[in-house]
Amino acid sequence: MRNRNVVSLLMLVLGMLCVLMLAHAQNAPEASEKGKEVYENSCAHCHGVEGRGDGSAAENLLPKPRDFTRGLYKIRSTESGQLPTDQDLFDIITEGMPGSSMPPWDTALSADDRWEVVAYIKTFYDGFKESETPPRAISLEDKIPYAEESVEIGKGLYVDLGCVECHGNVGRGDGTSAPTLTDEWGFQTWPANLAQGWNYRGGADTEDIFKRFIGGIAGSPMPAFEGDSFLHFGLTAEESKRLSELENKDEMTEAEEEESGKFYEKMDAAVDIALNRAEGMELSAAEQQTYDNAMKVVYEKSWHLANYVKSLTPEKRPESAIGNNVLRSQYVQGALPPMDDAAWETLQSGYFPVVGQVVIEPRQFNPTIDSVNVKSFYNDTEVAFLFTWDDRTQTIGDETDETTGKTLEDALAIQFPVKVPQGPTAPKPYFLWGGRLPVYLWHWKASAPEQVTELTAKGINNAEAQEAQGELQTQSIYKDGQYKLWVKRALKTDDKKDLQLEPGVFVPIAFSAWDGANGDVDTKRVMSSWYAFVLEPVPSSKRFIYPPLIAILSVGFLFGLRAFVQRRNSEEV
Amino acid sequence: MKTYLLASLTVFLACCYVGNAFAADSDAGEMEMLVFPESYTAGSVSGGGTISGVVTFEGDVPEMKKLEITKDQAVCDATEKYDESVVVGEGNALKNTIVYLIDISKGKDFDKAAKLEIDQKGCQFNPHVQIVPVGVRITMLNNDKVNHNVHIFSSVNTPVNKQQTKNRRRMPLKAVKKAEGPVSVKCDIHGWMSAWIAYVPHPYFAVTNEKGEFTLEDVPAGTYKLGYWHEACGTNSGSPASVTVETGSTATQNFTLKLK
Repeated sequence: MRNRNVVSLLMLVLGMLCVLMLAHAQNAPEASEKGKEVYENSCAHCHGVEGRGDGSAAENLLPKPRDFTRGLYKIRSTESGQLPTDQDLFDIITEGMPGSSMPPWDTALSADDRWEVVAYIKTFYDGFKESETPPRAISLEDKIPYAEESVEIGKGLYVDLGCVECHGNVGRGDGTSAPTLTDEWGFQTWPANLAQGWNYRGGADTEDIFKRFIGGIAGSPMPAFEGDSFLHFGLTAEESKRLSELENKDEMTEAEEEESGKFYEKMDAAVDIALNRAEGMELSAAEQQTYDNAMKVVYEKSWHLANYVKSLTPEKRPESAIGNNVLRSQYVQGALPPMDDAAWETLQSGYFPVVGQVVIEPRQFNPTIDSVNVKSFYNDTEVAFLFTWDDRTQTIGDETDETTGKTLEDALAIQFPVKVPQGPTAPKPYFLWGGRLPVYLWHWKASAPEQVTELTAKGINNAEAQEAQGELQTQSIYKDGQYKLWVKRALKTDDKKDLQLEPGVFVPIAFSAWDGANGDVDTKRVMSSWYAFVLEPVPSSKRFIYPPLIAILSVGFLFGLRAFVQRRNSEEV
Repeated sequence: MKTYLLASLTVFLACCYVGNAFAADSDAGEMEMLVFPESYTAGSVSGGGTISGVVTFEGDVPEMKKLEITKDQAVCDATEKYDESVVVGEGNALKNTIVYLIDISKGKDFDKAAKLEIDQKGCQFNPHVQIVPVGVRITMLNNDKVNHNVHIFSSVNTPVNKQQTKNRRRMPLKAVKKAEGPVSVKCDIHGWMSAWIAYVPHPYFAVTNEKGEFTLEDVPAGTYKLGYWHEACGTNSGSPASVTVETGSTATQNFTLKLK
């Protein structure tokens, strides 16, 4: 009897345990308390306590923090439609996502904590538990090394596959479809500016580019170019080339129709096999062979494309401005080169990163402009600047902001102090367009592209156009997602409110830029802090006279001294 | 001992019940979707009947907005295009409404010969609402000579996002495993393109034509809940119509829909 009681007690305990476990499963299973704790301390502010991407900070962010409940992960080493590997999740937490609000956690969280977070994040989506097989990895074997020939083939594919629709002619994210893109959750999203590899979310190694292309960027408009959706899937490179020729004809002859028909049959058969495989069907040996052959061509072409994309961006983010953050204007004799002159190619650009203005309302939390690049020449009387900056859309003032009703347009402002601070420790004006110390501004707007207005400002909301205008000459152009603005001015002017320039004097310089399509207007803009600009002094031509003269005189003196000593010695003898 | 067992069982069941109630709650707030039976057995139907009817629109008929064609004008803007979210014909007939049986568990099989295609001619999806059986491939057509990308916003099944390049005339899509929908179909390249796909587990689904008409044939005799779904007017999932089908005869059920 006593035994039976023990047994029944045990059963009760087991029953209760069962109940506990089930109740536990209803409230989102926890990988571990530790993972939950780390997540809630470090991740939930943006990604939300329940992983829905709706944390308290999410409202102001674009791109939005990922919603983990759909199992859609952008940066994966796995094929389209597959979940990421644990390593993928760990890597993205460790390295962060450049160009978004996701920071790298390599120093803030220990590796153990990061792994705990990976386990915890996976509990937000049941698919991780339900999937029986590990996700299929994208094969990185047979990589085609970077070479000009490969880049050239990739360039053709970039157009043929339609990359150009969103990423634009030279990859600045300015394609004709760029302004209307939304993500899986309906939020606006911009195609990557491929000329800025340092902002690629998942890294800019050729392998990274290849993986994004084959696997797609889940949840975004970026499609996966895996297998069967690839151009002429199932045809060899030669067959594909021939079919392209036929397809590009306005009208095919009967023989050509027949020829292309055969290609289509071959393609259809290969696509059928790829779909069977994707649906989980076992392939016969012959089918597998057909599939492998088709994929070999796909992967080859994809490496070419990855190499082309790689060619569009510098290896690294440029260093801020030239040499110790100073923009050096180069002296030339005679007339300064106009905007299209090849002379500009000889100069290296000063790279000035800009960030969203978040000090004063309205703020810009989601900037779309990365930087302003500047080159400058001067001569004895004038200085010329060439400013370039990437903007995916040309907005020329024919759109208005929905909430404020204000006119939206692209613009750039270049900021100098009115009076150059004397010495490196002297105070500069406040970088937000001055205050007690005023600033002198050049303000260019896309609605009046041949004009730059001179402003004086004593604060970001306290700028006035100068009474005396017309001292600036301007040229500008927008092409392939990039603005070029050329401005020329006399070194000295009669206006007391203008900055006066002379060689060798270091002048503070800063930038503001507006992307109208991103809602930038007034204080909602991107800005830089102060950098320095100098008219690089010309080494004097007297350097060719005095040093030799001194040398000759020194030598003469030595000879004289020698002669004098010799004579005195001989006299003594 | 029995008491212990009973007690633990009661607690166990209570927890399960509460848990399920929570689960049901969390789903209820989602978008208005179709309702599918838990299981469906396909076979031959003898002595079935027909359900037919007309769906009409009530209220001020919204003007069909002309779509703003922002690119590839030569192809996409060759004919004027209109937003098809509410298409009202003569006599207020409402097109593109899905009418279906909610609670059927046994009946006929799918029509295997039916062509399942969505065309993208002139940068507009046609049809605007397409029924796709679970386990069957749908083929996307492109004779436009422009690039499209087929983006299907599934959440139960894996979302689809595939480029259909300008020379790819036919692109079949992987069959899905689970009933879902309707889900939105978009083309990211041409942001105005919009359609809907319903992945369904049984063949008793119809989409109303220009005259607002629908017909469900070979319905086994019995009483069913008849549901509808319309993109802009929502569903009647909360209070579906009850229809009794008799052998060899036609039951009529009309619906009048308003904007949500």
